[in-house]
Amino acid sequence: MDLVQHLRYFVAVAEELHFGRAASRLHMSQPPLSQRIQRLERELGARLFDRSPREVTLTEAGRLLLPQARDVLARADAILDLASRIDSSEAAVLRAGLPPELEGTTVAALLGDFRARRPRTALDLRESATAGQQDDLARRRLDVGLLHLPFDPADLVIGPVVHRPLGVLVAAGGPLDLPDELLLSDLSGHDLVTFARTAAPARFDEILDTCARHGYHPPTVHQADGRSFTVGLVLAGTAVAFDPGTVPQQADVVWRPLAGQPLAERMAVVWPRERHHPEVGAFARTVVRVLGAAAAPPAGPVPHTRPASEFLATPYGAADGS
Amino acid sequence: MAHEDVREVIAAQFADAGVAGRMHAIDLASGREVGVGADAAVLMASVFKVPLVLALYRAADAGLVDPAEQITLTPGTRTAGPTGIGAMADPVTMSLRDLAHLAVSVSDNAAADALADRLGLDAVAAAVAAAGMAATRVVEVCRDVAARTVASLGTADPKQLARLLTDPVALSRLSTLDVAVSNRTTPRDCTVLLAGIWDDALASAGSCAAVRRLLSLQVWPHRLASGFPFDDVRVAGKTGTLPTVRNEIGVVEYPDGGRYAIAVFTRSASTALMLPRADAVIGTVARTAVEHLRRPRR
Repeated sequence: MDLVQHLRYFVAVAEELHFGRAASRLHMSQPPLSQRIQRLERELGARLFDRSPREVTLTEAGRLLLPQARDVLARADAILDLASRIDSSEAAVLRAGLPPELEGTTVAALLGDFRARRPRTALDLRESATAGQQDDLARRRLDVGLLHLPFDPADLVIGPVVHRPLGVLVAAGGPLDLPDELLLSDLSGHDLVTFARTAAPARFDEILDTCARHGYHPPTVHQADGRSFTVGLVLAGTAVAFDPGTVPQQADVVWRPLAGQPLAERMAVVWPRERHHPEVGAFARTVVRVLGAAAAPPAGPVPHTRPASEFLATPYGAADGS
Repeated sequence: MAHEDVREVIAAQFADAGVAGRMHAIDLASGREVGVGADAAVLMASVFKVPLVLALYRAADAGLVDPAEQITLTPGTRTAGPTGIGAMADPVTMSLRDLAHLAVSVSDNAAADALADRLGLDAVAAAVAAAGMAATRVVEVCRDVAARTVASLGTADPKQLARLLTDPVALSRLSTLDVAVSNRTTPRDCTVLLAGIWDDALASAGSCAAVRRLLSLQVWPHRLASGFPFDDVRVAGKTGTLPTVRNEIGVVEYPDGGRYAIAVFTRSASTALMLPRADAVIGTVARTAVEHLRRPRR
């Protein structure tokens, strides 16, 4: 029995909970799929699914095995990728997109790390904002991208996500130039300089919503494209800007951390779901090595679904264990 | 505003709300239309309850079921949900047509699945075919979506689920968000369905009137209806919601007799559960489209 292939069948049926749908996803017909699942169950000596005419559900054994099966498949895919890379001359160039805000030292570190570990693959880095990278990935003009969350992940695989907590750039010697951490509410009365909302409306709104939630309502939000314009407005003393604090500042602008890390830059390595470049995994590991040193911010509050969500009842009593 | 312009305005409205949007709107009198991605495959979510209740009334027209037939739904076996019978504690007995009322007015999952169990998905497929919804497939009911979500995310614990349902990485591998294997339609298929219901073409006049009444009793005001805050404009619709997915299809009726079928399907970049802008853009683009269709042609 080809165990990996049988595990693929198992995971497909487990995710669909429907033999017909799983079969169509696997591009096969239903009877052989049912036979293979039965064969796997015999081989493992455990029943994986309860089948009734109306529905298919996972047994306890199936539920326990599912994460392990996914793990085996991920590892098997990595081996297949590796084999195809050894075999393939197309892999000679990897075209990767990076967000424009990424500082020069980080770009250099990414290039250096990748070159050291993958000397045979040329890394072709291109600077492009979220929308442009998504478009290029869809049109196969990019093999892999580094995108700010949130974005629409249709047809993309989201790889590792790196977090960089954001602090604040403030004018040196100004009222906010305190030696300690700042609260977002401390910024009251100061304007905010940020990226243009049209570049990433969802991310812009998340940042402003977080500010409002923590009591910071900027009187004016300046939308600036360039870093020097941003620093100029901060220098003038009326505005502040959010920044990961990874670049040394000029003398009259200082970086201050935010208490509790309410804001973070979250960037995900993404690649096309279908027929992806064999080196995307190597690029993802490089990104994690170079950018992933900072700890992820603490998990946010547990969200509550409201009735208008319609989907997935999480009855009040169930969440309370009553 | 020229035709190309209105499409650009609508595309910009979607982008400004942080969503990928698809829509189709049609003037039921003249057949004039506006579409942005009108033939793209989209996830139906609870919008599938419209062909479902249509299937009930078609079955009633054919004498196959009595809409007054009583069904008893018992806790533990019926489908759970956040509204209606799905959220209740005790056994409930009601008629098929009242189940249809709850399935549409408050998107009751228990009521919808009970109807689907009584009628069979073949009857829903027949209603879909009769409506001319060529790109639409209804292959599962609410309990299947819930079970696939749990299987896909690997947990049934409500607290863990709530967290995973707002986690972009978990959502990127959630099979219930894969349009290829879920209940799917296109915006144009949905306006075709609504047109057939409003023109008494898909069932008897009495049955079509009954379905129109149910759609006019839909309670949520935050999507399609938010674009038409006027006492003399009637909005009848059905929402559909999944993580990052916000939909509504419906008909807007103006006091001068103008009637416009609209179908809007969105997926948000943000994974937050509360996104008022993403809900409201459904009303905004519908209003933009309707105002365009109401402007005299030159």
